[in-house]
Amino acid sequence: MWRWPPTCNRFDGAWPKAYHALCMGSQRSTIARRGVFSAKVLENNQLCLDHYQLVLQLEAFPPCRAGQFVTVRCGQVEPIQAPREIQWQAGQLPELYGPELTGRQPLLRRPFSLAGRRDVGGKVELEIIHHVIGVGTAFLAEARRGDEIELLGPLGNGFDILPTGRAVVVGGGVGIPPMLYLAQQLTEAGKQVVAFAGARTRAVLPLTIGSAQPPSTAGWPGMCTAEFAARATPTVVATDDGSLGVAGFVSQALEQWLDREQPATDDLAVYACGPAPMMRAIATIALGRGYRCQVALERHMGCGLGTCQSCVVKVKSGDPADGGARPSVSAHPTGNAAQLTGNSVQPAWQYKLACKDGPVFDAADLVW
Amino acid sequence: MVDLRVNLAGVEMANPLLTASGTCGYADEYADLLDLRALGAFTTKSITLASRIGNEYPRVVETRAGMLNAIGLANIGLDRFVADKAPLLEKLGIPVFVNVAGVTVEDYVAVASRLEQVEAVRGIELNISCPNVKAGGIQFGTDPVQVCKVVSAVRNVCRKNVLIVKLSPNVTDIAVTARAAVEAGAQILSMINTFTAMAIDIETRKPILANNTGGLSGPAIRPIAVQMVHRVYSQVAKAAGVPIIGMGGIQFAHDAIEFLLAGASAVAVGTALFVDPGGVLAIKDGIAEYLTRHGHSRVSDIVGTLELNGRA
Repeated sequence: MWRWPPTCNRFDGAWPKAYHALCMGSQRSTIARRGVFSAKVLENNQLCLDHYQLVLQLEAFPPCRAGQFVTVRCGQVEPIQAPREIQWQAGQLPELYGPELTGRQPLLRRPFSLAGRRDVGGKVELEIIHHVIGVGTAFLAEARRGDEIELLGPLGNGFDILPTGRAVVVGGGVGIPPMLYLAQQLTEAGKQVVAFAGARTRAVLPLTIGSAQPPSTAGWPGMCTAEFAARATPTVVATDDGSLGVAGFVSQALEQWLDREQPATDDLAVYACGPAPMMRAIATIALGRGYRCQVALERHMGCGLGTCQSCVVKVKSGDPADGGARPSVSAHPTGNAAQLTGNSVQPAWQYKLACKDGPVFDAADLVW
Repeated sequence: MVDLRVNLAGVEMANPLLTASGTCGYADEYADLLDLRALGAFTTKSITLASRIGNEYPRVVETRAGMLNAIGLANIGLDRFVADKAPLLEKLGIPVFVNVAGVTVEDYVAVASRLEQVEAVRGIELNISCPNVKAGGIQFGTDPVQVCKVVSAVRNVCRKNVLIVKLSPNVTDIAVTARAAVEAGAQILSMINTFTAMAIDIETRKPILANNTGGLSGPAIRPIAVQMVHRVYSQVAKAAGVPIIGMGGIQFAHDAIEFLLAGASAVAVGTALFVDPGGVLAIKDGIAEYLTRHGHSRVSDIVGTLELNGRA
């Protein structure tokens, strides 16, 4: 048994080690619960324009699944030091530091889906692929081998491996990373997997394109990306501008493939992650043809832990046994007097939380 | 040896650290990440008479050194709180304060009356200051006449439960609403709630939050909150003997000590719980270390001991 938090000062720099001491020993491989973990950066690779791959090494990490995520503290957060005297010479800038002096610092943790996991030599390697869009991701992009990063997880619910013989995984942009991890788990489960990866243009496709076998412009799956090939998954690449693979949306490439292959409805499952319009298109195609479809949604999160109630997702109602907050009115979800006084009509949808109930949902349950 | 215990209007707490409403749910969400028993008291997310689904997405956005939220008081409602959450809170072993929100005085009174019968509850925190609900609590919190009306009505039904009033910072002079609350029977003041604020997506020229405006919390508001605590302490609370729970952007022991010096008897941590749930307990150790270093033995020794600079 281990307890969190350890009873030592959070800011003396000792707690991650103390924490690991508690995690290790005979119980090390059986950590069952989420928690705060210290991870060491093994690799930080730039995959394409503004996209980076981080390989992190941890002493231990609970069992996890594709679709689950971790939240990362993207910055050096330290308490304010006692006042100190600074001496400097004319013509020379004083060296100032501290969170309130060093410019912009992210406040909240940033959520990232897991792009892969390897259990090697008694340790765990986690992979995160991110797109630099602000201060938090810019901080991560600067990470160097050996740096310590604090992460909290695993959080949320991952993809269910559905009982079909075949599977397609569809990723768009930064929705591709969790599909890598899912492809890994699906192939390990013995499924025959084909991946579809889409991006606006070649420069922002976070995958390594092999020179031996370029992506087919006609949408034939091939071992054309190093990452999916490493997971024994043939891949179709689509770019909006036609700079690589199929010219057009990844949903069109999927449709074309389905027309060609005609898989039986009970033999194929569709899994997707990407921008909302892409996922809506994928869900429409998959459900319209009778295939089961799961999607991982992206939401702005405050806590990632089910507390702040920020990352709401509209889900069709009809399951009264559900544990989430049940709405009492349908007409004005933005909050009005009727809601407070309970003047209610049972609505056709309810809010669920992406962080706790998701981020993976059955596409058929969502109100798009 | 430092004694961290504090007594707030008769409520014995092992230390001056609380959770701020809405940042720690109903205690079950964080159970595995933060040992809540190590806190002085626990304040729940807001409860309303009927359940509420809250505002449309997006509900939060980070701003520099802060966070804007417009959740819209999404909550499970009084009945489910009493049935599902109260039994867990009973086992918590520390005093529990329930944050109560409403639209009418009758709403507040109905919830407060029912909570008198719930053993697990030690006090209620009157949320008359949520900035995110249309026709919601905000006008109570900004108008001293309304503050007086709702506080005295709720005070009349409080027997077992201690009455905390959470003040809105969205006023010209917070001492005015503080005085109204104290005169109407508030036993503890908690301050402050979030500041009404807005963040804009300059490409679409629209507010980022679906609710257009939200409440600003986090380190960005701390200096304003400290000033407001000092103002209310020196002008109202000290003379009336009403303790203050100070909050607004507390992340580290340093921040909490600022509030104590300014006049707060206890402190609540909010947004920082989202960032580092377990880490907030270090604030306790930091306060103890500070008391030792300055030769004090109790937290109350430093409450309100701010020494203002003389003005020329």
